[in-house]
Amino acid sequence: MGKPTWRKLAITLAIVPALGLAACSSGGGRAPEPEANGGGGSVATTERIKVAVITHAAPGDTFWDIIRKGAEEAAAKDNVELQYLSDPDGGRQSQLIEQAIDQGVDGIAVTLAKPDAMKGALKKATDAGIPIVSLNAGEDRFKDLGVFAHFGSNEQLAGEAAGEKLKEAGLKKPICVIQEQGHVGLEARCAGVKKVIPGTEVLYVQGTDMTQVESTATAKLQSDKQADAIIGLGAPFTMTLLKAKATANSKVEVASFDMNAQLVQEITKGNVLFTVDQQPWLQGYMAVDALWQNYRGGFTIGGGQATLTGPAIVDKAVAEKITSFAEEGVR
Amino acid sequence: MIMKNRQNKKAEELLEKLEPKTSDNLLTLKGVGKHYGSIIALRGVDMVVDPGKVTCVLGDNGAGKSTLIKIIAGLHQHDEGEFNLHGSAIKLKSPRIALDAGIAAVYQDLAVVPLMPIWRNFFLGSELTTGVGPFKKLDVQKMKDITKQELSDMGIDLRDVEQPIGQLSGGERQCVAIARAVYFGAKVLILDEPTAALGVKQSGVVLRYILQARDRGLGVIFITHNPHHAYPVGDSFLLLKRGRSIGYYAKSEITVEELTAQMAGGAELAELAHELEQLGGHAEELAEAEAGAAPN
Amino acid sequence: MSSLTASPSHKKSAAEQDERVGKKSTLSILLGRPEIGALVGAVALFVFFAIVAPVFLSPASLATVLYGASTIGIMAVGVSLLMIGGEFDLSTGVAVISSALSASLISWYFGMNVWVGVVLALVVSLLIGFINGIILIKTKLPSFIVTLASFLMLTGLNLGLTRAIGGSVSSPSIADMDGFQSAKAVFASSVSIAGIDVKVTVFIWIALVIVASWILLRTKVGNWIFAIGGDEKAARAVGVPVVRTKIGLFMAVGFCGWVLGMHNLFAFDAVQSGEGIGNEFLYIIAAVIGGCLLTGGYGSAIGGAIGAFIFGMANKGIVYADWNPDWFKFFLGLMLLLATVVNIVVKKRAESSK
Repeated sequence: MGKPTWRKLAITLAIVPALGLAACSSGGGRAPEPEANGGGGSVATTERIKVAVITHAAPGDTFWDIIRKGAEEAAAKDNVELQYLSDPDGGRQSQLIEQAIDQGVDGIAVTLAKPDAMKGALKKATDAGIPIVSLNAGEDRFKDLGVFAHFGSNEQLAGEAAGEKLKEAGLKKPICVIQEQGHVGLEARCAGVKKVIPGTEVLYVQGTDMTQVESTATAKLQSDKQADAIIGLGAPFTMTLLKAKATANSKVEVASFDMNAQLVQEITKGNVLFTVDQQPWLQGYMAVDALWQNYRGGFTIGGGQATLTGPAIVDKAVAEKITSFAEEGVR
Repeated sequence: MIMKNRQNKKAEELLEKLEPKTSDNLLTLKGVGKHYGSIIALRGVDMVVDPGKVTCVLGDNGAGKSTLIKIIAGLHQHDEGEFNLHGSAIKLKSPRIALDAGIAAVYQDLAVVPLMPIWRNFFLGSELTTGVGPFKKLDVQKMKDITKQELSDMGIDLRDVEQPIGQLSGGERQCVAIARAVYFGAKVLILDEPTAALGVKQSGVVLRYILQARDRGLGVIFITHNPHHAYPVGDSFLLLKRGRSIGYYAKSEITVEELTAQMAGGAELAELAHELEQLGGHAEELAEAEAGAAPN
Repeated sequence: MSSLTASPSHKKSAAEQDERVGKKSTLSILLGRPEIGALVGAVALFVFFAIVAPVFLSPASLATVLYGASTIGIMAVGVSLLMIGGEFDLSTGVAVISSALSASLISWYFGMNVWVGVVLALVVSLLIGFINGIILIKTKLPSFIVTLASFLMLTGLNLGLTRAIGGSVSSPSIADMDGFQSAKAVFASSVSIAGIDVKVTVFIWIALVIVASWILLRTKVGNWIFAIGGDEKAARAVGVPVVRTKIGLFMAVGFCGWVLGMHNLFAFDAVQSGEGIGNEFLYIIAAVIGGCLLTGGYGSAIGGAIGAFIFGMANKGIVYADWNPDWFKFFLGLMLLLATVVNIVVKKRAESSK
C-alpha cells in the first residue's frame, strides 16, 4: 500500500464522525433516563441473601427479558443478590445448578423444561439444604424433585384459552405457527388450541430467519384459502405474520401468545385480535420473592400446588389499560 | 496492474542495472553455495548459461538440484559465491522479480491450474484487457487466438483452447507451460524434471520442445536424473552429487556412457560387486545391472 | 482429445487450424457449463411442484418463492465467489445480523439519522470480512476453523452488545427515526409488476448475480479467483496476488451480508440478536447445488443463484403442496439431495460427451 492510500484512509476516518454529528435524528432514538418521581421506598431489612435464577432460555429470546425484569425487581425490593443464568441444553443447565450450589447460594429458582436432566443437581441442592422453587415450566413434576413452589402458566391451558377466545369469535380454521420445530412448550400451545378447535393446522417456520418466517407464512396464506385465523407464538413473530397477511392480501384474523410493546399497540389498533399472556414478569418476581419469604420465616407458598400466573387474555379493552406497562417492558 | 508496488520498483531497478554486454554470458554461477542451518545443501557450483544453448543439470535425489533451481528462480538466495545475470551480480528476492528479469521456471507440479481452460492458464497473472477504468474486461478472443497460435508454433495442434488443461496429458501440460514461458519473454528457461513422470513417447515430445525453445534463443537449464534424456539435447552438463559438483563438461568432452557411469557412481558399483563376491553371490546379476544401467 | 503433431518447425496459422478441426456445437458448449446440472434440477423441481400444487403457478406464489429465494440468494452470490476461490465462511449467517444490529444500535444510541447507521454498518461488515481474511492469511489455518471461530465470537457479540446497549435481546425499534422511511424504500420495499408485489430484494439479488458473473468471467480478478481456488501454489508461482484476492473475497461476502442485513433491519425494524444462526449452511448448500466445487476452482455465481432458487422452491413448495409439516425438514433435505445428484449426473454426461 502506498502512502496516498493511508492519507485517504485517515481523511475518511476524520470525516465520518463529523458527518455523524451533523446527522442527528429528530425523532426516536434512545430516550433520556427517566427522573425519579417520588419513588424510592425502603428495601427489606433482612440480611442480604444470594439467589440464583437458572432458566432454559435460548439466547436472544425477548420473552425471558420480562421474566428477568420481574426477578430483578423482586431482588431489589428484598435485598437479594441475584444471579441470572441460562442454557437451553438440559445437561448444561444442570451444571449451572451445581455451580450455584458450589457457590453457596441461599436459594435456587429453576425452569424445569427437562425435569429428568435436573434431578441429580436438584437432589444435591436439597441435601445441601438450599430451598428450591421452579418457574415457567415443570408444573407436573416439580413436587417429585424437592421443589416447594411453582410459578407458571400451563402451556396447554394457555392454548385452550386461546382456542376458546377464537371460538367465541366464530373462527374455525386457525393456522398455528410454530417457530421452532420440536419445542415442547410451543407444541403444547398449538395442541391446546386444537383441542378446542379441531380444524387447527400447524405451520412450521424457521425462527432464526425472519425473512423465511415471512415468506413461508405468506405462502401458506396464499395456498390455504379456507384459513380464517393465524396465530403467532411469540410477539416478534406475530409482527411478522401481520406483514405476511398484508403481502398475501389475506383476510385472516391474527392472534398471538406472549407480549411486547409493539404487539400491545397492534391490539389497541385492532390489527391483532388478542394475545394470551402468561405474565412472565410475575413468574420471575414470584420465584425470587417466594425464596425470600422462605428465608424470612420458612414460608412455603402455594400449598403444594402450582401457582398459576396465567393464562391472561389481553384483548383490545385490556390492552388499552396496560400500554404504558408494555412500553416499560414489564408486560 | 493495481498499483506500482515495492517489488515492481525493485525489479525495474534491477533490470536497469543489467545492460546486456555481448561479451558476457547470460547467466553465470561461480562457487555458488547454500546452507539451511547446519545442513549444506549446495557448495562450490560453477555453471554458465548462454542464449540458444541447453545446460543440463544431472544428479540423483538429494544431489542439490532443487536447491540450485530455487536459487536461480528466485525462491531462495545463495549464501556464497557469485550469481551473475548479464555480468552483473544479483540476488533474486522473489519469483516475481526473477520473472521480471526474464528467468522463468517450469516446475513438475506447479505448472498449471487443472480445472481452468488452457487459454486462461496461458495468460494467468498476465491477462490482456480492453476498455478503461471499472469496465476493463478481458480480451478473451485475443487471448484465445494468441494461445492457439503460440501452441501451434510449438507444434501443439489443439482442437479447443477452452478445454480444462487438466484434460491434457502430463507432457502436453509441460509443453503449454514451456510455450507460456517462451511467449512471455523468458530469456532463461528452467525445466525441473519435465520427463520424470512421463513415458518414452511423451518424453520424446517434451525433448523436442526443449529444442524449440533453444532455437528461439532462450538459455535452457534442463534438470533431470536421466542421462539418456539429457545427452541428446544438452550442450553442457553439470553433475551434482550430495550438493557438490562432480563434473562440468561440454558435449564434446564426454560420451553418454561416461555420463551414465559418472551418475551411476561407477566406483561405488565396483566396490559393491566386490563385497557381494566376498559374501558369495550375485556378482553376475550385478555385472548385468552395471551393463543394464546404460540403455533404457 | 487433442493431438500432438511432432513437427516443431511447421508453423500453422490459426485460420488453417480451424478449418481442419471440428467446431464445438453450441449445445455441447452449454452442457459443459457448471450451472447446467442445477438448471435441470430447478426445472424438474418447478414442474414437480406445479403438478402437485397448482397454486404454485400463480404469480403471487411465484413472487413469494422469489422472495424466499432472494434472501438466500443475496448471500449465495458472495459465498459462491468465495468457494470458487477455495475458501469457506461459516460466519455469514450471524454476520448478516451483526450488520443489522450495528446499524440499528448505532443510530438508536446516538440518536442519529438512520442512514449514518447504514453507512457505519457497511464499514463493520467489510471489516468483519477483512479480519476473517487477515486471520486466515496470518495463521494459515483452514478457513473452516477461522470462520467457525468468528461465527462464535460474532454470536456472542450480537447477544452481549445488544443487551448492553439496548437493554434487551432484541434491538430497539427505530421506525420513528429520521431516514427510516427512505432506507426502507431502498432496502425493504416492494415493486409492483403487473399487479403483483415483488420485493425489492429480488432485484438486488439479480443485480448482484450479474455483477458477480461479470467479475468472474470477464475480468482479471475473476481469472485469479479461479486460479487461486484451483491451485493456489501454481497461481502464486505465476505472480497472482493471492493475499489481496482472498481478503477481497471475504470482504465481498461482508458486503453481501450488509445488503441482507439492511433488508432485515428495515423490513422487520426490531432485530432479534439470536437470529441468523444456521443460515450459513444454507448459503453453502445453495452454492454447491449450483455447481460450485467444495474444493474450489470451479463454479459460477449464476449457479449459486439457481441453487438459492431451488431452495426457495423446495421451502415454499412444501407449504403450497400442503404436506405434513412434521416431515418438512426431511422433504427439504431430500429435495436438496436429489437436486445435487441431478447436478452431478448432468455434469458427468456433459464431460463424457466431449
